[in-house]
Order: sequence, then structure tokens, then C-alpha cells
Amino acid sequence: MQASRKRSKSLPYILVFPTAAFVALFTAWPVLLSFYQSFFLQRMNIAKFREPTFIGWGNYVDLFTDPYFIDVIKNTLTYILGTVPISIILGFLFALLVNRKVRGIGLFRLAFFHPMVLPMVSAATIWLFFFTPDYGLFNSTLRFLGYSGPENWTGNPNLALLSVVIVAIWKNSGYYMVFYLAGLQNLPDDVYEAAALDGANGWQSLWRITFPLLRRTTLFITIIAFIDSFRTVDHIFVLTSGGPSRSSTVLLFELWLERFEYQDIGTSAAITVIFVIVLLAFTVTNLITSDRKEV
Amino acid sequence: MKNKVFSKIFAVVLILGLLLGACAPAPAAEPVQEEAAPIEEEAPAEDAAPAEEEEEAAMEPVTFQVFYPVAVDAPIAAILNGYIEEFQAEYPHITVEPVFSGGYGDVQTAIQTTIDGGGEPPALGVMLATALYDLINADYIAPLDGYVAGMEGGDAYVADFLPAFLANSYYDEQLWSIPFQRSAVVMYYNADMFAAAGLETPTSWQSWADAAQLLTTKEGDATNWGLQFPTGWPYWLFQPLAIGNGQNILSDDCTVVFDDPAVIEAVEFYNDLSAVYGAMPAGVQAVWPTATTDFASGSTAMIVHSSGSLTGILAQAEFEVGVMAYPGKEVDTFASVPGGGNFYIMKGAPQEQQDAAWKFVEFISRPNYVADYSINTGYIASRASAYETDAMLAYTADVPQALATRDVLQFAGAELATQNLGQVRGIFHDYIQRAFNGEMSPADAMAAAQIEADVAMADFCP
Repeated sequence: MQASRKRSKSLPYILVFPTAAFVALFTAWPVLLSFYQSFFLQRMNIAKFREPTFIGWGNYVDLFTDPYFIDVIKNTLTYILGTVPISIILGFLFALLVNRKVRGIGLFRLAFFHPMVLPMVSAATIWLFFFTPDYGLFNSTLRFLGYSGPENWTGNPNLALLSVVIVAIWKNSGYYMVFYLAGLQNLPDDVYEAAALDGANGWQSLWRITFPLLRRTTLFITIIAFIDSFRTVDHIFVLTSGGPSRSSTVLLFELWLERFEYQDIGTSAAITVIFVIVLLAFTVTNLITSDRKEV
Repeated sequence: MKNKVFSKIFAVVLILGLLLGACAPAPAAEPVQEEAAPIEEEAPAEDAAPAEEEEEAAMEPVTFQVFYPVAVDAPIAAILNGYIEEFQAEYPHITVEPVFSGGYGDVQTAIQTTIDGGGEPPALGVMLATALYDLINADYIAPLDGYVAGMEGGDAYVADFLPAFLANSYYDEQLWSIPFQRSAVVMYYNADMFAAAGLETPTSWQSWADAAQLLTTKEGDATNWGLQFPTGWPYWLFQPLAIGNGQNILSDDCTVVFDDPAVIEAVEFYNDLSAVYGAMPAGVQAVWPTATTDFASGSTAMIVHSSGSLTGILAQAEFEVGVMAYPGKEVDTFASVPGGGNFYIMKGAPQEQQDAAWKFVEFISRPNYVADYSINTGYIASRASAYETDAMLAYTADVPQALATRDVLQFAGAELATQNLGQVRGIFHDYIQRAFNGEMSPADAMAAAQIEADVAMADFCP
């Protein structure tokens, strides 16, 4: 009796152990290592700094007093604010659009979803041609709609960041649509019937019923959209290389530059730590606040 | 401690080297003697190696990896696999494992992360010629002088490489890399359009700009530009402008001259091409991949690009394609700059793998392979003797542009390669793009770039 109770107490730990071990090894340990390295001056491309030297908060101080790094943070915020809300709203609208039983609806769903299937690099390469001044599809379409502004999207410092935002939205909305679509199809019919009986119009039932019922889905999508917007930089490599004049350099791109172009281990570790803290803070607060509302 | 290990490794290498010399079948069989491998402790190691052991070591199979990038539109993997098969037939005890690793940056990243993580790097890597200082400072690569000294006709072997390509291989009077897939900046022009307009090929900035202006035409909403000049990653294509004005943007690995009046004038010339002549799109043109298509389809009269794009352009273009160096500012001056990747041997790999890797480098840089690689990829053959092979003679008779890409090298200055290259290049890109986009005047931008670059190099240069 006692023995079996004991066993059942330790069983969960045993079951969790393999996962925990992997998380510790491949997630926790690298993060701790980065945290440690971020207090050292270490650069691989210079003999005298190849061995790490302790410099305390030096790397962080350098980063936050560098106006250029502040610009990178601004770019990152712009990129996130530009991509996350819009691609979620679009995903929701697409889901509403294709959530009906019409012949051939599968084709429309596919049309919205297919950008997600493409690797980001291919998507960006396609867009590179869309963005071409003069005859590029994107510019031709805009001109047809009456646009007469600058067409050099990837080479203009005011437009480069916007152009990578556009590609990210195009790429992601269809993906978020799928989650919303799944959510929509799981909604109970009886609530809508009751609402219809009470005389609610389409707008009211959408705003008062559909949207609140999909809050869990929205929360999930917000988290993955936010995290995605931090970690997707492939299209920046293809479209702008972070330029012109660094105007489309975001945090992860900067991290890559510091680590592999400048071979600066300390600074790149510090950026990694900043990265992890921001993502953790966001995810945790999001989960806490939404759990409270949920009851 | 280190010395002991080293001398052990050295003994093995030496034995291996001796045996390779003895066993390698015919052609360029090197009667390798005790100089087979680099440096000092030679004598004791040699004494310590009795003859029977040598025999055994010869049979020891060696496997090494070569990390290589694919940076041009050519079936690099298939071509390399073919060479490797022929190499292994000649050296049956050596196995070469080619590892395709993305672009140049990815190869370097893969090797760096392997070494930094405590792993054993591949014995051989193809990386940018300009990565030299970073690789030396990080202590990743081994010098090759010992191998060259051990070759029969080693000096002649090295001297046969085109000097512009070899310039990036030396540091501290040591040889660190062997040119492999090399290219140069060239100007492509649509010879049919030039003939139709009665134009001579340009010989100066003035005649270049005039031709570009004349060949720019409107077609409805769209413009057929006289010239496209990709500047999304600008230093490489920009350098020949500066060189053509008599001043390269660097003078050595510790000195850049971004703020020289001649360099500033070159930036102004780029801006004038759109502002004054209306001959190309204004500002930064992030059009590296689309420029070749525009040119080959006949909608753009001239582009500046890599010589590596020649094969792709020739395959698409339905007009006569001209290839030349950039015209310089003064009449009858020209300019270019080399680019591309070299072979580097990683010092972290076991010595016997490094030695086997060198055998492979030697093999693949035989004139017939250099010629074959050039013909199949569009890279410039890196050795003078490759141009005298039958295959190359036949090819260049058919495709004279391939000779033109080699000939631009006589006008070439050094490619930007400095200490702390990533940062210095980033600073240059930042400011020159501001100048192109009109955010700063060329003079202010280049002055600011000079100041920041000097700071970035301060720790690296005594």
C-alpha cells in the first residue's frame, strides 16, 4: 500500500524527466551560458580578445548607450506593431470569409494559406520581383489603384522596413486564418440560434458572441505571432540585408551581425539575454492576465 | 604539452607524406621528401620513423570533409562530386566528403560554431578570400607555405595563379589560401544596342554616362534604363568606381581611405548618373538578383555585376553581350576588383586530414580542372596555364567573353579586406547608402564613415 503510493508520487517526475532533461540541456543551459558570457569581453576575430575578460555590465552599457542599437530597438518595435495586429486581424477576416459551405471553398482557403507553406526565403525572393520598380507586380497594382509615390521599396530608407513588414503580413495572415477557422468551426450553433431569436444582427453576434468565444484562440495566436515576429529574419536577408543604412535591421538580425559578422561573443550574448527576457516577460504576462479573465 | 602532441602528429604526418610520395600513382606524383609538412621539429621526427611503420601508415585510410558554398547559378555539387571521384581514383586511401553548406557566410558560420563548440572542423573549407584576417585572428586556419615548399615546382605553382587573385592570400609573409572560385566586377553591355545607336564602348566616366543617358528610354509607365547599378550590398560594385578615379577605398588591412576626395567624387558620380544624366534609378538599388534578368531580357542596356553571372546571362540573352571593366574617370582608364572564394585548410583538423586536404587542393588546381571548373560555372579560371589547355582554348574561341572577364583583372585593385572586416564593411555600407539616398552629402557621409571605421579598427591595429 505504502509502496504503491510512493511509486505513484515519483512516477510523474520520472515521466517528466526526459522532457525536462532536454529542455534543460537545449534551452535552459544555452540561456544560462549566454547570461554568463554577456558579462565578458570576447571577440573571436582579434587575438588579444579571444580569451574572455570579465567586464561586468559593460556589454549592456555599451549597447544601451549606442544610438545605433536604440534605432534597432525602434525598428524592432515598429516591425512588431506593424505585423502582429494587422496579420491577426486579416487572419480573422479571412477565416470569416472562408468559413462557409460553398462549392470550391477549399480553393480559397488554399489561396490564403499557401504563403505559409512557402519557405520564407522563397517568399521573399518572389516579393523581390514584386517590389521591382517600374514593372514589378506590386508597383503596377499600386499604380493601377492610383499610387504615384516612390517605388524603390527595398532601397528607400523610409520604405525598406515597411516592405519587410508587408511580406511578413502576407506570409502569416493565412497561417493565423487556419487557427481562427478551426476555432470558428468548433463554436456551438445554439448560441447563434438563441441570438438570432433575440433579434441580434450579424454585427452584434460577431462582436458579442464570435469574438469573445474565440478569445483563447486569439490569445494563442497573439503569442505565436509575437514570437514569430521576433524570430523571422530570413526575408530581411533576401530583401534588404538590413539596409539601406541599417534602416531595416531588427533585433535578431543585429544579433546575427554581432555574432557572425563582427564575431563579438559578449555583445551577442547580451542581445540574446535581452531577447529572452522580453519574450519571457511577454509570454508570462499574457498567460497570467488571460487566465484571470478566463474564469 | 602542446609541443608533444604536435610532434606526435608531426611524425605521423611525415610518415604519411613520405609514403604518399612513394605510393601515389603516376601523373603529378610528388617525390615528397622530408619537407612534406611545415616547420621545425623535422629532424627528430624523421629519425624516429622506421621504414616498416611507414609502409603501414601508407595504407591508413584518411577521410576528410570539405565545406563549400553554392554562390552562382551552376550545378556546383555535381561538378565537385565528379572531381572528387577522379581524385579518389588517383588517391585510393583518401576519401573526400563534400558538405554543401549554403552560402559563403553559412560555410564560415558552420565552421566557426563547430570550432567554438569544441568540435573538430572540416579539414578544408571554401570561404571568401576576404575572410582572411578574421580567420587568422580567430586561429582557425593553417598557413600553406610548408606544403608549397614540399612540392616539386612549388614556387612556379603559386606564381601561376593570377596575381589579382593571389593578393588576398598573403599575410605576414605567409600563404594562407589557394584561389578557387574567383570572380571580378565587370560591366555588361548590350552590344547590339550600342551598335544600333552608333555608340562606341565607353572609355571614360563621361562617355559612360553619355551612353547610359542615350540608351535610357521610356516605354509607357516603365523606363528602360541605360544602366543598373546594384547597391543593396554596395562596397564590391562601388570599389571600381573609386579605383577608376585613382584611389581605392583601402590601402592595407589596417587603413581605409573612405574620406579621400577621389572616393567622395566617385560617390558623387554614382549620384550624378541618376540626378544629372537620368540614366539609372535614383538612390540605393537593391536589385542584385533582378538586374541580370533585366539586362538579359534587353530592357536595361548596361549593368555592373559579378563576372560569375556571365553564364546565366549568355544563356538568356538574345543579343551580343559585351563584357568590360568599368571605365575610369580619365579617358582610357579602367577599373575592376576581384571577388570570390578560396580554399582554406583548418588547423583544428587532424594533421593527416590537413595533408590529405592539401593533396586535394593541389589536384583540383591542376590546369585542366581549373579550366573545366571555369567552363562549367562561369568563374574566372584562377591560373594562367588553365587558359592554355585545349578545353579552354576551344571554349574561349566560342565564348570570347570568358577571356574578357580575365582581362579586366589587369585593371583590378584589392577587394575590401581589413581587420574587423564585418564591422568596417557595415560602417561603409551604412554611410555610402546614406549618401546614395541623399540623407547625407557624399563628403559628410564618407567623413563620418572614416571616423567610425578608424574607431572600429583601433583595437585590431597597433
